[in-house]
Amino acid sequence: MSGPIGKPTPYIDGVDKVTGQAMYTDDFRFPNMLYVGLVRSPHAHARIKHIDLSAAGKDPGVAAIAVGTEIPISFGILPISPDENAMAVEKVRYVGEIVAAVAAETVEAAQKGAEKIIVEYEPIREFIDPEDSLEICGKDEQIHSHTKEGKNIHKTAELRFNEPEKALEKSPFKRTESFKFAGVTHAFTEPHATIAIWNGDETLTVISATQVPHYLHRNLSKVLELPMHRIQVKKPALGGGFGGKSDPFAHEMITAYLSMKTKRPVKCTFTREEVFITNHGRHPTTMDMSVGCDNDGIITALDTDVIIDGGAYGSFGVVTSYYNGVLLQGPYKIDKLGFRTRRTYTNKPQCGAMRGHGAVNPRYAVEVILDMLAHDIGIDPCDLRMKNFLSENTLTVGQLRITSNGVRECLETVREKSDWNNRYGKLPYGRGLGVACGFFISGSALPIIWNRYPQTVVHAKLDFDGRIVMFSGASDIGQGSDTILVQIAAEELGIPMDFVQVEVADTKTTPVDLGSYSSRVTFMVGNAAKMATERIRNEMAKAIAKEKSVSAKDILFRDKKIFTKDGTLDIAWEDGVEIAMAGRGAFVESGYYISPKLGGDFKGSGAGLSPAYSFGAFISEVAVNPDTGEVNVEKIWAAHDCGKALNPLAVEGQIEGSIHMGLGQAVSEDMRFVQGQIMNANFFDYRIPYSVDTPEMDVSIIESNDGEGPYGAKEAGEGPIHPVLPSIGNAIHDAVGIRMMELPITPDKILNKVREKN
Amino acid sequence: MSYYFKPATITEALSLASDYSNNYVYFGGGTDLQIYRKQKLIKDEAIIDLSGLTDTYRIQADGNALRLGAFVTLDDITSAPEIQKLFPLLAEAAASVATPVIRKTATIGGNLLVNNRCTFYNQSKEWRDAVGSCMREVGATCLVTGGKDKCFSRNVSDTAPALITLNATVTVQTQKGEDEIPLKEIYAPDGIKYHQHMDDAILTAIRVPEKPVDWWFKKLRLRKTLDFTSLTVAAAIDTAGMARVCLNGVSMSPILIEKPIADLTLEGLTRSARKNCKTVDNDLMPLKYRREMINVYLNEWWQTVKDK
Amino acid sequence: MEKVQLNINGFTRIVLVDPHETILDTLRNRLFLTGTKKCCDEGTCGSCTMLIDSKPVLGCLTPTVRCVGKEIVTIEGISSGDDLHPVQKHLVKNGGMQCGFCTPGVVMTAIPYLEENPNPSVNDIKEGLSGNLCRCTGYKKIIEAVKDAAEELNT
Repeated sequence: MSGPIGKPTPYIDGVDKVTGQAMYTDDFRFPNMLYVGLVRSPHAHARIKHIDLSAAGKDPGVAAIAVGTEIPISFGILPISPDENAMAVEKVRYVGEIVAAVAAETVEAAQKGAEKIIVEYEPIREFIDPEDSLEICGKDEQIHSHTKEGKNIHKTAELRFNEPEKALEKSPFKRTESFKFAGVTHAFTEPHATIAIWNGDETLTVISATQVPHYLHRNLSKVLELPMHRIQVKKPALGGGFGGKSDPFAHEMITAYLSMKTKRPVKCTFTREEVFITNHGRHPTTMDMSVGCDNDGIITALDTDVIIDGGAYGSFGVVTSYYNGVLLQGPYKIDKLGFRTRRTYTNKPQCGAMRGHGAVNPRYAVEVILDMLAHDIGIDPCDLRMKNFLSENTLTVGQLRITSNGVRECLETVREKSDWNNRYGKLPYGRGLGVACGFFISGSALPIIWNRYPQTVVHAKLDFDGRIVMFSGASDIGQGSDTILVQIAAEELGIPMDFVQVEVADTKTTPVDLGSYSSRVTFMVGNAAKMATERIRNEMAKAIAKEKSVSAKDILFRDKKIFTKDGTLDIAWEDGVEIAMAGRGAFVESGYYISPKLGGDFKGSGAGLSPAYSFGAFISEVAVNPDTGEVNVEKIWAAHDCGKALNPLAVEGQIEGSIHMGLGQAVSEDMRFVQGQIMNANFFDYRIPYSVDTPEMDVSIIESNDGEGPYGAKEAGEGPIHPVLPSIGNAIHDAVGIRMMELPITPDKILNKVREKN
Repeated sequence: MSYYFKPATITEALSLASDYSNNYVYFGGGTDLQIYRKQKLIKDEAIIDLSGLTDTYRIQADGNALRLGAFVTLDDITSAPEIQKLFPLLAEAAASVATPVIRKTATIGGNLLVNNRCTFYNQSKEWRDAVGSCMREVGATCLVTGGKDKCFSRNVSDTAPALITLNATVTVQTQKGEDEIPLKEIYAPDGIKYHQHMDDAILTAIRVPEKPVDWWFKKLRLRKTLDFTSLTVAAAIDTAGMARVCLNGVSMSPILIEKPIADLTLEGLTRSARKNCKTVDNDLMPLKYRREMINVYLNEWWQTVKDK
Repeated sequence: MEKVQLNINGFTRIVLVDPHETILDTLRNRLFLTGTKKCCDEGTCGSCTMLIDSKPVLGCLTPTVRCVGKEIVTIEGISSGDDLHPVQKHLVKNGGMQCGFCTPGVVMTAIPYLEENPNPSVNDIKEGLSGNLCRCTGYKKIIEAVKDAAEELNT
């Protein structure tokens, strides 16, 4: 690589971000703009009997009011469960659900206007505990009418390969354990915000803090009954997502609708409490899991039964249900595998996709059980894992296609760096090491909405100024995808990065990209960007070859020069641009990415399919105070196989951020509920680790050079969260001899177990 | 309609308070005030900004004694060399509050008079309305305890237990004049009316009579920053051999146990603490655990002094 | 409403504000100085940190009326793009920011911190930034950037 690919590269928007110049959604203002005030339900489950708008309607400053029946078309990220409405229609399903909205001249006037809307409710039986949702209930009590068997079960996902239960019976070593995971939420720093502008040409522009402009585009069209060619969705600078901005949202529909209704720009910005209420975080989960192995520690079978608490609406829940099971197919070879996941509807804010989607909780369970089995058999937990890893270029039992696989090198690296062999099991009481591994998809091989288009298209434009502009629908949410686009163009064309700029995430000017979810962007958009800029290079080479009488295939692009090795051609980039554009002017080349056809032909075979998988192994060191139960995670050694680090600075950043987020779920974060409403909807009480709570990190990037990834790259944004939690859980066992089966691992739980044991 | 005043003298401030009786709020460092306002926990007409009272900013160490103006910030306390030297207990307690930047604004007077907290009370208006209002607001019973007719909100000051064990007194000014009272006297075991002798009064100064011969401090919290306390224990032994152990975060007011060290036993201390702390499930740490930690902390302190 | 005269980044602005209004809202909504971010609006995240009379203060907890007669410096007052403060420069260089939303607050906390503590250890910096919530970076690269900035400022 002669250009910036593979070199630590500061973000192209870094200066704007450190100077406060970067524009996030709430930072925009438009002339004559209105502000949204929302009426939210105080009930978890209730029928709407009457909405009295009369007082609000008379309020000075209120320009428009909207209620659910005006835009009753349902929407949702998955076309199989479009169960949400912009505002509640007929009934409310969680505390905080939006029932009505006003647009007013100021934020204060909007709040006052909203307070004057009086809603009468008739409470219905509330389902807060997912166990209650598994039982048959009255027809009127069903949260959604479409659920089957008279129960509040949204989805049952089940796959079984090769009769795992029989193999488990025969296994000489077997563990069956129960786990419980609290719900956690993304807690990105930028609250949800949306601005909608109804333009004079009867088009709608929506500026929104979204990870998925494309799906927002589609859902806006559906709900507002406005053709797609009249909608533009733009994502400006975005303050973190982690999956929490990867659905189309009710407030986006409402804001757009109010803009259409008033023909004025309208802005909606959430408070922090509203962000918590909106949630879409990781599902609270209970899980029974059995894993068996033979006398040598080879895994014989795995079977698990999972209940995930979906909250009031579907979101990504069907995918989450499958991911809880199918993403147990790696990094270990497990040929006898079964799972059932039931996703319940409950009267709480909905859960959805969050970093490591669907696989974080089962990963904790399996890694803890493997640790237990290693102890049962009497072999080192690292050795047991080494014996069971999948190889490269293989198929899993559910026909996930594994290509490159650096998991062995990952584990060897952290084992060596942490001095595991000399320290594991030998540290003084109260101090311990724990190991865990993981793997994750590099983008879902299937689009959310089936269609015949590529999953992403990138245009590269060259003009007289010598500049390349990369047009991509990819959404930079802080992971640095804009920088990757520039790096790739600079690499392919041998030009400095300042010759490349981006036009991104604007559904009017940029070609479709499906969005920043499922760790797909570097892999898919990277491939498309590479193809687009290769094509620019080929076009240029063709023209230059003709004019300079050299062979196109001998022409090299490097260091802002275009040349042949033998020296017959040696011209500056700008001269090459002029030759290429002569007689035709500026030109655009496109690249695209379509995942190869993958997977089996059984129902559910599509879940978890990806063109490539990342792998990782982490070791944590903890100190546990057995008198107070307090745990201090002191150091984490992390090794992650991302194929090839296109921007090592960004890859390290993703791994370090994953450690922080994983630590939070492991030891301190949980969504607490009282009477169905969140009782810790703020950063005092939803306890995210701060700088002083975060361990020392030793990060190793392992490069397995994937055959299909751009320059060999695979994902790094989500995979690194998986090993964090179980490595901490296993380290606590090494420290004080207890197994933590419930997350977060707070001091009270540790103290109970320590006392039970002693 | 609301009004903002910034009086230059105490007399002026007290007179404003009298003019707006029950409809004003004193604004000190103000680090909690805006949160209460956003949550609609206060809606006072007049803001009386006390930052113009220039004689409340001083730290004066005099031999082994200390006088602090009420407007001295928590950060000033943690970084003042004389406090670090004579009263490291106080420096540590102040450093355990909130975050570094908040400590640069938050005052010692404000931390001593911090409002009691409860998981059912420190919430937005919409939240409180949805869950049903507690007796501290407009309801009739306590929601935490499932309907008792008493409020158990917690005092969460970290500096109060430290200063109480240092036998501090506070200067309190009212329109009737100036009074110096023991700090512990301003706290009442009542979740709603948790301060006393403070009606329309301004706390202007804190005085610590002498340097202790021994001290101990520990704050229970899940994170090493930001969190309000789940249990704070401060302990000090004075030159006369009097031991003072003060627990906070576990009852409506700081709980002081005061006994000559010679007469103190761990069992007696623990029994007394458990009896006096009216701890209910109004913190994010589980009740049982917080109660257990009272024993653990007291034992931990005891281990440091029993051999001395 | 109160009419107040504010000195912001060396320039005098006169605005009408509500007595309860925070300086964060005044800056963002009335003066279009949107570099200071509103993340939690209750003093828990440090994103709205600014300097008032050289002292770091949380904008979401500070009524605008209390800023009268004082020198307010916001992220916009630290530098223009060409002459980044060493803290800013190293945050960019080290990858000490991802989504960037907490970053203005980190800059405005780290700059006065380094003035008071010119030779901080890694643990000192962790402590100094312990009121700044970053959900992206895991803090490591932020801390390294501040350490590098300290070293540059000392040479």
